[in-house]
Amino acid sequence: MQQWVNWSGSLSFSPGHYWEPQHEDELCGIVRRTCAAGKKIRLAAAGHSSSPLVQTPDTLIHLRHFKKLLKYDVQQQTATFQSGISVHEANAALQAVGLALFNTGDVDVQTLAGAIATGTHGSGRTLQNMASVLCAARVVNSCGDVSVYSDDLHPDILRALRVSLGTLGFFTEITVRVMPLFKLRRHELFTDTDVCLEHFDQLSAENRNVDFYWYPRSDESKVRILNEPGQGAQSFAFQHHCVKKEEGWVGEILPRKRDLKFDEMEYALPAANGLACFQAVRERIKKRHRKDVAWRVLVRNIAKDDNYISPHHGRDSISISLHHNAGLPFEQFFNDVEPIFIEYGGRPHWAKIHSLTARQLRPLYAEWNAFHRVRKALDPDDFFINDYLRKLLFTDGAR
Amino acid sequence: MAHVNHTAGRKVWAFAAGHIPLTSTGKEPVFTSHDKIAVLNAGTADASIRITIYYENEYPVQDHEIGVSAQRVRKIRFNDLINPLPIPLGTPYAFVLRSNVEVVVQFSRADTGFRDAAGFCVTPFFQTDHE
Repeated sequence: MQQWVNWSGSLSFSPGHYWEPQHEDELCGIVRRTCAAGKKIRLAAAGHSSSPLVQTPDTLIHLRHFKKLLKYDVQQQTATFQSGISVHEANAALQAVGLALFNTGDVDVQTLAGAIATGTHGSGRTLQNMASVLCAARVVNSCGDVSVYSDDLHPDILRALRVSLGTLGFFTEITVRVMPLFKLRRHELFTDTDVCLEHFDQLSAENRNVDFYWYPRSDESKVRILNEPGQGAQSFAFQHHCVKKEEGWVGEILPRKRDLKFDEMEYALPAANGLACFQAVRERIKKRHRKDVAWRVLVRNIAKDDNYISPHHGRDSISISLHHNAGLPFEQFFNDVEPIFIEYGGRPHWAKIHSLTARQLRPLYAEWNAFHRVRKALDPDDFFINDYLRKLLFTDGAR
Repeated sequence: MAHVNHTAGRKVWAFAAGHIPLTSTGKEPVFTSHDKIAVLNAGTADASIRITIYYENEYPVQDHEIGVSAQRVRKIRFNDLINPLPIPLGTPYAFVLRSNVEVVVQFSRADTGFRDAAGFCVTPFFQTDHE
C-alpha cells in the first residue's frame, strides 16, 4: 500500500487506492467508480501543505502527468494549463513565450492549482493572493462529469472555486491571468527590527513587493524589497546593511529555494492590526520560545479580494508565518502563539497548521454560506469531504 | 593585490563547553548573549566546514555546513544555526569542527543575561611555526 508523505514529513497516510491518471477521461472514470462504490476521493498536489487537506483512507489521485501549457493569448493576457503544473513550471513555460504570473509565494514548488485552491500568496500591498489569477476552469465533479466555469458566465462559482480546498471538484485545466514578462530587482536589507517596523508602512506603499523576516535569536530583521527596474525606492534612508542585490526575470527572482524543511502556522490579520499583532508575537517568542525556536518569522502584505473563503476576503491583510524545523515538536510553540493571532482578528491559512474548527471559522467569513451554497450544488453528497474538511467546514447550520 | 601564501591552524577542532546563554540584557542583536566561533582561513583554498553538535542526552546533530573563503575570516554565532537543527539555548553542548583545509578557530561567549555581571570570554590559540 503506497504511503503518501507531505513535503515536511509531518503528515503521512496510506490511501486505499492511489492513481496517477494520464488524461482527463481516465480521471473521470476513477472518480465515477469511486463515487459509485460509496468511497471518498482526494487529490494530492505538491504536498506542501501542513494540514491534512488530502488525507483519505479511500482513493488518492495525483495529476503529475497533467503539466502542459495548453494555450495562451497575449492580447487577452490569459494562459491555460493542465492542473498538475507547478508554479515554477508554469512561470518557466510562460517566460518562454514572453509572459509571466503576476506574483508567486515565497516558494514556487506548489502546483498552480493547489496554490489557487488554498489562497497561497506572496507579498505586495496591491497584490492579491494567487487565487486571483483564476478566470476559468475545467472541473470534474463527483459524478465524473466535466463542467467548464468562467468568470464571465459564472462569477459566483468562480468566487467559490478560488480558495476551495478541492471541495468543489478537481481542476483538470485552469485558465489564469498573466502579464507580459517583466524583470524584478531585489534588495535584501538587514536592519534593527524597531527600525523595520517604523518604516514598513512607507516601504509597502512605495515598493511593489515588500516583506520582512524577523529572527528570534538576534531580534533583527531582514527586509526584502522588489520592484521592476527603475521603479520604487532606489535608496533607503534608514540604517541598514544590504546583503543582497540582484535582478532577473520575475519567475527566477521572486521565489526562493528552500531545502530545509519546516512546519508552518500562518494567520492573515486585518492590515490595521498586523504590526501590532507581530509585536505581540515577537514579545511572546522572546519571552517563552527562544530556547528552542530559531527559525525566522515572515511578515507579508496581501491585497483584499472577494473570494468567498479566501483568508484575505474583504480586507487588506498582513500575514504572519511561524516556522519550526520539521521533525521538532511544534505544538507547544504554535499553540501558545495562536491565541494572539485570534485576538487580533486573524484568519488561518487553510493549508497550514491551526486549531480552528467550523464553529470558530464561520464567523470570520461573511460569505461562508455563499460558499456552502455553491459547494452543495456542486457536491451534494459531500464526496470530496474528508474528516478534516468536515471539521473545518461543517457546523450544524452550514451544510 | 598581493596574496600572502601561508596556512595556519588545523583541520579538526573541538570545544566541549558550549552553552548559549538563555537570557540577554540590552539592545539586540549587539547585546544578545551568544556563543560564537571566529574562523580564520589564511590559506589560498576555500574552506568547507562541517560541524557536529553533541549533547548530554541526545544524539549528535551532524553537518552544520559553513564555508569560509580563502584568506578571509568569518564569524558564526551558534544561536543562528538552524540547518539541520537549531541548538537549544541554555543547554550544554559540544562541537567538533572538520575542515577540508587548515583553519584557525577561536570560540567566544558573550553573556549579557545579568546586566551587572555581563561577561565575554575567548579561547586562546597558539600557532606553531611550520612551513
